[in-house]
Amino acid sequence: MRRTAHQPNHTAIPALVLFWLLVPLTPLLLWVVASRWSGTARLPQDFGLRGWQEALDAGMLTALVRSALLGLAVALIATPLGVLAGRALGWRLLRRPALPSIVLLAPVVLAPFAVAMGLDVVILRLRVPGEVAVVLVLSVFALPYTTFTMRATYLALDPALEEQARVLGASSRQARRRVTLPAATTGLVTATGLAFLVGWSDYAVTLLIGGGQIVTAPMLIGSSAAGSGNDSLTSTLALSASLPPLVALAVFTYAASRRRTAAHS
Amino acid sequence: MLLIVAVTGTALAAVIATSLGLLPLVGQPRLSTTGFTSLSGDLRLAAEESLLTAVGATLLAAAMGMLIATIVLHTGRTGWLLVGVSAAVVTVPHLVGATATGLLLSDVGLAQRWLDVPVTAWPELVGGRWPWATVFELAWKESAFVAVLVVASVGRHYAQLREVAAVLGAGPRSQCRRVLLPLAAPALASSSLIVFVYALGTYEVARLLGRAFPEPLPVMAYRLFTDIDVASRPQAAATAVVATGLALLAAISTLPLVRRLGADR
Amino acid sequence: MTAALKLLAITHRHPGAEHPTLTEVDLEVQDGQMVAVLGPSGSGKTTLLRVAAGLEPAESGDVLLDGTSVLGVPPERRDLTVMFQKPHLFPHLSVLDNVAFADRLRGRSRSQSRAAAQRYLDLVHLGDLARRRPRQLSGGQEQRVALARALAASRRVMLLDEPFSALDTGLRTSMHQLLAELRAALDPTIVIVTHDLDEAGLADRVAVLVEGRIEQFDTIQALYTKPSTLAVARLVGAFNELPGTVESGVHHSRLGAFAVPPTAHVAGRAILLARKERLALVPPETTAALTGRVVQVRQSGPHRDVVVELDRARGDDRTRVEVEARLGTTLRPGDRTGVLLPGSGELWIVPEPGVSATPPPPARVSDSAPRVHATVTDASVATRSTKG
Repeated sequence: MRRTAHQPNHTAIPALVLFWLLVPLTPLLLWVVASRWSGTARLPQDFGLRGWQEALDAGMLTALVRSALLGLAVALIATPLGVLAGRALGWRLLRRPALPSIVLLAPVVLAPFAVAMGLDVVILRLRVPGEVAVVLVLSVFALPYTTFTMRATYLALDPALEEQARVLGASSRQARRRVTLPAATTGLVTATGLAFLVGWSDYAVTLLIGGGQIVTAPMLIGSSAAGSGNDSLTSTLALSASLPPLVALAVFTYAASRRRTAAHS
Repeated sequence: MLLIVAVTGTALAAVIATSLGLLPLVGQPRLSTTGFTSLSGDLRLAAEESLLTAVGATLLAAAMGMLIATIVLHTGRTGWLLVGVSAAVVTVPHLVGATATGLLLSDVGLAQRWLDVPVTAWPELVGGRWPWATVFELAWKESAFVAVLVVASVGRHYAQLREVAAVLGAGPRSQCRRVLLPLAAPALASSSLIVFVYALGTYEVARLLGRAFPEPLPVMAYRLFTDIDVASRPQAAATAVVATGLALLAAISTLPLVRRLGADR
Repeated sequence: MTAALKLLAITHRHPGAEHPTLTEVDLEVQDGQMVAVLGPSGSGKTTLLRVAAGLEPAESGDVLLDGTSVLGVPPERRDLTVMFQKPHLFPHLSVLDNVAFADRLRGRSRSQSRAAAQRYLDLVHLGDLARRRPRQLSGGQEQRVALARALAASRRVMLLDEPFSALDTGLRTSMHQLLAELRAALDPTIVIVTHDLDEAGLADRVAVLVEGRIEQFDTIQALYTKPSTLAVARLVGAFNELPGTVESGVHHSRLGAFAVPPTAHVAGRAILLARKERLALVPPETTAALTGRVVQVRQSGPHRDVVVELDRARGDDRTRVEVEARLGTTLRPGDRTGVLLPGSGELWIVPEPGVSATPPPPARVSDSAPRVHATVTDASVATRSTKG
């Protein structure tokens, strides 16, 4: 009631911010259902799923699967390493925590294209398969995200929880597996998701190291957006590359809120 | 940790070696600085373009991100919708964002169609004199990132601290200035730094939305890297070295500030 | 003289809640006075403070500061401050700057407000910790800083929301001492919300809040000797309850007839209250003593509480009384003993719940008639913890 004086602010500014967040994506939503939208018409002249047909023909499904595999591989490498590093940092198990923190910043600061470029020569000389190299480089870029997420998670977790499990008869491995990890689920899922996204949405590293041979979803989008002038196809590819993570996020958020309300009642 | 050091270290060493002519694709290694000197003019322009983009994107992302976070923290439950939308924006790949921005802001984009501005009068937002579209895309996606990080770091206790501030005599404005801003400062500073170095190193956004000349460092590096002329390899590496140097400089100069802000918690 | 803070018929309901948290609550705090709001958890005492501070809107009623309504005024512009249960120190400010916060808001210079803050820190005996960060403090120190910060705001009225309940007994006692010192030095007007009788005892007057209503507003001594209702008696604790009926100044019950204290204005169904320390254990053959068998002996602080099941109980009723025995009692469960009730000057009477004080409206009486409090004197009820 005491905020009545500010009422206009309280609806207008959030609406404006929502507008800022959502507007950039609206062209995609229109283009994916447009089969003809020429000139400067406000809405497409013909609606249809032409873009989807072309996207399928362009190998969208295989590319999506390849992207998913890349994301999974990156998550599988970066998440466990991030858990170990995050635990050591969050619970202050290291004597000199400053050094790993600085090392972790390296992938954040270094541009992916620069790293990829440098490694390209080495990879060629060592004859490392392109796929392996891409996964390796992207895992390195994902590590800061997984580590910092897990560090924050472990900071919020009381190490006494594990000790409690130990005095109740759990071995140190059991304590970690049955007590700490479940308590850290949210952080763990977030870390995995971030690592997956690094693999899923990468363009520069795949392009430079894969040399155009590894066709992931972003590669399709990139080539379509840069070259084809087929906006309907580009939009369809772009949207289909955004949807899976969005759906995963929605499911996870829903599950988390369900668990929270269950815990409260 | 070792993985990070190995991969980034090798990459960095290789890039520097290549830029100095020590790691040619074919032929004898020979130490020279021609990689840098042969296109110093272009390098300077590209660096300027990159810095301009990164500074603009960072400032806008920080401002919008802070605005989103403020709204979220001040409106309670409804604000959490904004967190959800922000998290969703974070999961969208930059490439998709760039595609959508192109479709929104180009001279035949959605904005032009809907705002009833003649094509001839539409400002050159995409690929024009100033990197409007690139800055917009980066700021859009990264503002969501900043918002999520700030909300997470200020989070839980802010509501109570705000009440304390109120009963000590702080009005809404003082609450923001004297409590929220200082509390958010560490997260805001570190996320801004991340945005800045990302904007410096991003290839795909500038590639899709920027102009051909002068191009930002990553685009230039990639063009030279894929050039058939073998001589351009050291030039590409030199470009990467400059980009990395700028990012490192930014990180080194702001890290003490980030640390000082966060040290007290 | 107008009261420094006056709450008028405050009714508050949490959004979506069926029952109001506060019902028509009145409270008056005079300048320089300290008033405690005592109540069990969930009684609405914190809500009362939040309404007074403007942190929560009231459904109806009025809040007056120095006789002026502040109902539409946001908390920051009300001439009062709150100290919360948790210290909530600003993590980005040093201890000194936390205390200087309010002065800085008033536009005073950094050095001026820091100098003033230092004086308040000295008052709470933390003068040498000024440069520390909040996270480097212990719980007790944090709460002292919070107290200094609230004092430094130098508002007309200070509201304390169970400020010491998270501290251990020793720290709490020293905080109570500190509060007494501060009152002597600064003479602030204070409302303190608490569920702790010792803490309430620091105040000049105590308002007992039960289920959103003020049941009694009196000195702490009066709560111990003359509780106005059964709810107050149970909150204070350590009363033996004996249901019966008052007829022409005499309370009749299973244990006999007792003259009603002249200051208690109760008639009809009423409960006789006798504090456990006012009862005495005597040899069973003592004349005028009730006799019974010891069923339980409990250590309670330095004393022993002896629960005696009385012989005179008829039928299924097992009337028990609890007696605070002198140190060194050798009674054990199973022993027979005599119990001596005090004279009428040390007894008290409250109306049976649901029955209002004299004169009882007939309708109400019939309403409550079927409720038989056969075993209200069960020891577990009579000694319901005061610290619950």
